[in-house]
Formats: sequence, C-alpha cells, structure tokens
Amino acid sequence: MPDWQELVRQRLKGLALESEESAQIVEELADHLEDQYRALLCDGISEKVAIDCVREKIGDWRDLKSQIESSREKERPMNSRVSQFWLPAFLTILLAMSFLMIVEALGFEPWVSSAWGGPQGTVPVAVVYLPWLITLPFIGALGAYVSGRAGGRGWTVFSSVIFPIVPYLAFCVIGLPTAMILDGHIAHNIILPAFFVGFGVWVLLPGVALLAGGMPVHYFSRRALA
Amino acid sequence: MIAAGIKRGTAELVVLSVLQNGALHGYEIARRIEQETKGSLRFTLAALYPMLYRMEKQKWIRGSWETSVNGRRRRCYRLTPSGKQKIVPLRKEWSALFAALHRLAGVSNA
Repeated sequence: MPDWQELVRQRLKGLALESEESAQIVEELADHLEDQYRALLCDGISEKVAIDCVREKIGDWRDLKSQIESSREKERPMNSRVSQFWLPAFLTILLAMSFLMIVEALGFEPWVSSAWGGPQGTVPVAVVYLPWLITLPFIGALGAYVSGRAGGRGWTVFSSVIFPIVPYLAFCVIGLPTAMILDGHIAHNIILPAFFVGFGVWVLLPGVALLAGGMPVHYFSRRALA
Repeated sequence: MIAAGIKRGTAELVVLSVLQNGALHGYEIARRIEQETKGSLRFTLAALYPMLYRMEKQKWIRGSWETSVNGRRRRCYRLTPSGKQKIVPLRKEWSALFAALHRLAGVSNA
C-alpha cells in the first residue's frame, strides 16, 4: 500500500500553517485517500489502477494548498476587536466632539437651567446644547451600524455607541471627587448637585440620545441578518 | 455554470444536514452525501476539506480526533449549537430560491 501520508506531506510541503496544524491536516487528508483507496480495492479494482484513480481525483494540489491555507487562516483577535469596538467607538466620539465644537462655534445658545441645582448663582447649572443632542442619535446609529457590520454583538455594540460619554462619565466619577479633595476652594455643599447636574446633562442625556439611534439600528440589522 | 457562492452555500447546507445525525469523519461525510443523493452530489477531497475547515472557523462544526474501535485515529466533525441554528435559515433560504426558480421555469414554459 502506498504511503499516503508521505504523498500528502510532499504535495502540501510549505503549507503556511503551524507545524502541528499542518501535521494534523496531512494525517487527515491521508486518511481520506487511504479510505478511497481501500474502497476501490473492495470494488475489485487492481492496486495500480486504484492508486492512479485516487491521485487523479485530487486534482490540483497547489489549488488545494492555497484553499486550505485561506480556510485555516486565523483572524487575529486584535483585528476583530479593532473593527467591532475601537473603530466605531472612536468614530462616534470623534463625531460627537466635532459636532459639539461646531455647535459652540456657530454660536448656538445653550439651554441653561438651574432646575437640578438649587438656588441659581450658588450651584452648578445645567447647560444643554439641544442641537448637539439632536445629532447624537444619528452618531449612535452610525456607531452601531459600523460595529454590527464588523460582527459586533451586544455589549460590544452598546459600548461603542455610548463611548462619547466616557470622558464625561470619568469627569463626574473621578474628576469631581478629586477636585473636591485637592482644591480647598470648592465648596463641599455644591459637589453633590454638581455631580447630578453633570451626570444628567453630560452623561445621561447624551447616553440616551446615542442609544436612541444606536439600539434600533443594532436590533434591525440583527433581524435582517437572521 | 453555477456561481461559486451558490455552490458553496448548497454544499454547506448538505454537510450540515448530514452531520445532523451525528459525528462523522471527512471520508464518511463524502460517502454519505454520495449515497444519500444517489450519486448526484459528489465531494472530492479538494472540495470537502477546505469547506469543512471554513465551517469550523465559522464555528458551525467542531472537529476532534477520536479513536475508533479498530484503533484508528480519525478526525470527526460534529455540529455545534451555532451550526444547528444555522440549518433552519439556510433551508428556508434555499427553499425560497428553489421555489423562485420553479416559478420562473413555469413562466418560461407557459
């Protein structure tokens, strides 16, 4: 009986895969050829004709080699992480920040309210750029679309959509308490209202606006794929 | 000439359907397909294994080395939960395509 493993090894020499993986493929394909060969012998075909027949059935080894290489090629984990999360996340934050700067530069008057902050003039007030908030659902939708298209699911899409609020969240959670500790001029009685105002206006509202655009896009694109 | 994408799509459905009945090694997959389609569909080694590896990469099937009762080590493939889920939409998709082709052929013959 011919050494099928040796034949396959020779033909697939230089397979661009790890040595253990290559060895397993050689063994698997050789098993297949051996089965074919045995089946032909069982059908009463002579040994020589059976060997020729098995060899003929394989066809172009170079084509097989390149097909195996492309089918076993591993996608680097970083690639999918970048395309599913980092790219849409930076796209959304870049767009959100750019639109905020444009809105400010164009001179849109913010909606200012002290509703959450107690007596005006003594505590932080809510500064809301409505035109900016209106753009956020579209930015969120774009982020969800880019992440979903790259194969992102669930938390990956969600995180990339709400990424623009991360700096504000960090400021509320880390910046304000740090300022309170380090800077003696900040009155402690305004820190809590400042936290709620900042959190509501720069984290909660933009987050809701981003998700209002991003989540429907994610939901419908998943349904379309299903 | 059938486009490569269509051939690949039908081939994937065929392999998933054969593996529904249990784990099989590559040669047995090809043999079952040929047997059950009465020779209409035949998978050569060059067509079968790249496709099995692609499907494994997509996590529709999982291959593992197993030793048979005669002591021979074989790589057997079985459906993953994701592969089981994939069968239903694939079947629907192909049924719709064949129904459409059937309707189209009917119009042409009229």
